[in-house]
Amino acid sequence: MGLLITYDPPARMSDFDAIPGQRDAWHRFVQESFNANIKAVRKSLQPLKGTPQFYSATQLDPGGALLEQAVIWNAFPKELLRRYGRDRALVIADTLWPLSAYDYDWRYDPDVPADTGSQPGVGMPDTFFYRPLVEYCEWHVDRDAASGRISRITYTSEPPEYWMAMFGGTQDGSSIHFPGNPQLVLDLYRKLVHPQVAMEDLLVKKAFTSPFGALKPGDYNPHNKWNTTHGIAHLSAPPNALTAEINLAAVATVLYQDADGDPVVDPDAFIAGTGMGGANRNSDPTIASTVNVLARSGAMITLANPVGLYMDHVDLSGWDVPGGQSAKDWATVVRGQDQLIERLVVKSPTDEFDVSDLRIGGVPVVFGGQIAECITVKLIGVAAALGSVNNGRLKLPTAGYVDPANAREVFVSGRRGRPNGTVKAFAYESGEVEQKAMAPRRMSFALARRGMR
Amino acid sequence: MTAKPSGPAEPVLDMHDIQGIAVPGFFKPYQVLLGVRYDRAPDRVNAIVRFLHDWSPKVSSAEVTLRDRREYRSSSISAKTKRDPLIAIGFSFQGLFGLTAGADAIASPAFKNGLARRAALLGDPTDPKSPGHPDNWVVGGPKNELDILIVVAGDTRKAVTTCATKLKRALAAVKAKVIAQPGATRDDVPGEKGHEHFGFDDGVSQPGIRGRASADPKDFITPRHVDRSDFPAAALFGYPGQDLVWPGEFVIGYLQTGPDPLIPGPVLEPTPAWTRNGSFLVYRRLRQDVGLFWRTMRAEAERLAALPGFAKMQDVELAAKLVGRWQSGAPLSRTPAKDNAKLGGDQLANNHFRFDCDTPKLKLVDGTDDFPQAKSDPIGAACPLAAHIRKVNTRDAPSDTGGRSSTYERRVLRVGVPFGPSAKDRYAKSRPSDPDRGLLFLSIQSSIEEQFEFLQARWMNDENRPKAPSGNDMIVGQNAAAADGTRRCILFGSGLTQAQVEAADQFVIPTGGGYFFVPSISALTTVIAPVAASGGKKKSSKTRSQTTTATH
Repeated sequence: MGLLITYDPPARMSDFDAIPGQRDAWHRFVQESFNANIKAVRKSLQPLKGTPQFYSATQLDPGGALLEQAVIWNAFPKELLRRYGRDRALVIADTLWPLSAYDYDWRYDPDVPADTGSQPGVGMPDTFFYRPLVEYCEWHVDRDAASGRISRITYTSEPPEYWMAMFGGTQDGSSIHFPGNPQLVLDLYRKLVHPQVAMEDLLVKKAFTSPFGALKPGDYNPHNKWNTTHGIAHLSAPPNALTAEINLAAVATVLYQDADGDPVVDPDAFIAGTGMGGANRNSDPTIASTVNVLARSGAMITLANPVGLYMDHVDLSGWDVPGGQSAKDWATVVRGQDQLIERLVVKSPTDEFDVSDLRIGGVPVVFGGQIAECITVKLIGVAAALGSVNNGRLKLPTAGYVDPANAREVFVSGRRGRPNGTVKAFAYESGEVEQKAMAPRRMSFALARRGMR
Repeated sequence: MTAKPSGPAEPVLDMHDIQGIAVPGFFKPYQVLLGVRYDRAPDRVNAIVRFLHDWSPKVSSAEVTLRDRREYRSSSISAKTKRDPLIAIGFSFQGLFGLTAGADAIASPAFKNGLARRAALLGDPTDPKSPGHPDNWVVGGPKNELDILIVVAGDTRKAVTTCATKLKRALAAVKAKVIAQPGATRDDVPGEKGHEHFGFDDGVSQPGIRGRASADPKDFITPRHVDRSDFPAAALFGYPGQDLVWPGEFVIGYLQTGPDPLIPGPVLEPTPAWTRNGSFLVYRRLRQDVGLFWRTMRAEAERLAALPGFAKMQDVELAAKLVGRWQSGAPLSRTPAKDNAKLGGDQLANNHFRFDCDTPKLKLVDGTDDFPQAKSDPIGAACPLAAHIRKVNTRDAPSDTGGRSSTYERRVLRVGVPFGPSAKDRYAKSRPSDPDRGLLFLSIQSSIEEQFEFLQARWMNDENRPKAPSGNDMIVGQNAAAADGTRRCILFGSGLTQAQVEAADQFVIPTGGGYFFVPSISALTTVIAPVAASGGKKKSSKTRSQTTTATH
């Protein structure tokens, strides 16, 4: 096959073409993340004298046929479904949470949100917001102020790093400097979100700790109002980062065993026992397990170029649109391309109707989540040289716990602690060894970028 | 090392109150479905209430049905023929609302909208000229929805027919309209007894209900066949590979699936209270065009055979790949190259396989499984990702909705049978004069939206879900849901070569059905059809409400 020359921007979007040196900087940024994660995997395999099974296609051609493996998941957050049930999850999914809530983790109650930012161990502020939409797809619902009817719903899978890069500068945890063009960012905001966006709206005014690194005055603020309360340009929930995707794909190539020495194969047990992602998501258990099963077969694994997070398609079955219109005309790909969708807008093609006129299966659309349930998100992995590597297995570093009286969600020991009264889950897979709990720590964007998620 | 853990404590179900079609399920060879419509005039409503009340003692409880099954398995052939048929009663939303206004509190958009109005969501044809469009359905189409569905199931055609005839007479006496639909497992083609019309053994992979019929700790509703020493399989399975699913996935008011299959999730709370011990029943009358199916298989197999990696592809092999099992029921995962009838007929082996890792041999209570075990097949080289059995049950593999629990919470209990005579020539083109044949698909679940509809719309019809790269479910997936009206899927040949299979025409055509609520027997007699002892008329709503409270 030969080596890949460069990593392209997600969906091969062309925004960077207008900025000299920007595409090259993006390539080096992605390459840096690959390198850091390969290094981290190599380090974790040192006790076993193993070979990293994660590779960069710019540096290695494993030879033989390449097996492209799209990993897909539903856009509606399973975390909300598990915690709240569908009816309430639909309501909450259309709201914003303070950034501090992410640090506060399972303790956070959206009904009692006060003072989250002052709690011990909480480093992020409660004055900026994110959407609790952690499946690499977020949305914003535009409603008519007078009637409350939905005029438009916008879905995005564009990673924050892309927009931070377009603005310019060096991102926390990275050494790559992006030339950037703040005016281009402003122009895109005005085109995509609202014509009244001002440059000062997009800038950090006072330094704060963001999930995407420490931000200082004058930096681009991924949590600006036009990307949170007033609209949406790109992903902004803490785990929804491109570098987190690369990290998860890399660390998931490492093999683990249970207390009996048997390989850990169950997707839920694997994600909880390794602590490498969100155990209650659609995405992370699927990504990690899909990668790991290929790694268990001795394959070399990478992410396909262009590395990105995408909406694959929106299922229009049962969409009942008024006025004899076609449902296809109600869902428009605004950025990206077919099956590599970065931005999708749902609205009526005519002023005569609005999204509130849309019914799915006879049920009127009143939440953005009803359409998210129809959206499939994906990343594209590549496996090569099956059977070429025979690595040993590490012991599981942590464990998942559930409430034995009402097991709705998994709490992962070693990430943010677990509630009292919970019991160890997945005993059927993870063995009965007494796990040594790691000290709780917040997933740092910089750590993730360095392959230490 | 600490001692191996054992299985979880399992709840005792209200076996006397739950209808037997839901727990443990009617698995009888003969059925008659009676679709009922009744007039809403007060005297007609009172008459139908009297009918329901009179017949309610004959509705088979879970207790009766489980006893019947246990006796059947232990009795002689002659004794089997003398058994009374089993009876179940379900209500569509409008049929239920006509009898109790409390039906409006049932929070199920699917149930309230009904099957015909949800048909487009299921990928059914949206062109009114298509035979599968609800306007053209044989039963349950728009403005013709059934109010009540009565299922009569038994061991002999005669007993079922006799019982159904009595019911029809009783319904005629109360001026209700009845459409009778007989069905039976096929027994008129050698080697295909119990197979559906395309010729494949059906119902091999049923979930097991996790729960007990009494306080006896070993009185499991679903028998266990894995030795207790073989943890975790003994705690996870009834028959090997038969997932034990918490009862709240089938009956309202019980524990549901949690993240860990051995630790129960939350209770599915009944709303309104009288829906406790009730279930939802989906009825789909599916016409099967046997000739079209096999001609398509033959043509596609011939086309594939000319491609690298697919030499000597035959229609039977191609069809098996699209189903995920050979016609005998033997899983491709365990016998990828050819059918193995002995394996297909062995319940201790035919459902024991994983997709994403090598399958271990189990220690069994009542036999052995000496067939070759399945090998890890994450990409679908042996059993394609688009195979029907991988579309509806992801087993140990991840899906677009996460890990293993995401398949547990989608499982349905299938209790239907085929209808119509077998095709004499499986390649023949159908003619208008041909008898209708197909499947009376009946499924039991606690949520129509999250189980039946999810499986049909989100997994079977979709080109990628639950796991890519797959394609549409070529067997039961609906063409109208495909982007251009053509179903497609990906197959692997030797050397991991890939090829696409296409079907522009529909082998399985929806021709009717409905969504029904199967109430508990107490709800049937005290809420839906309460009859005062003296007057024979329906009690006032106030009285009914008091009765409901007292009951629960």
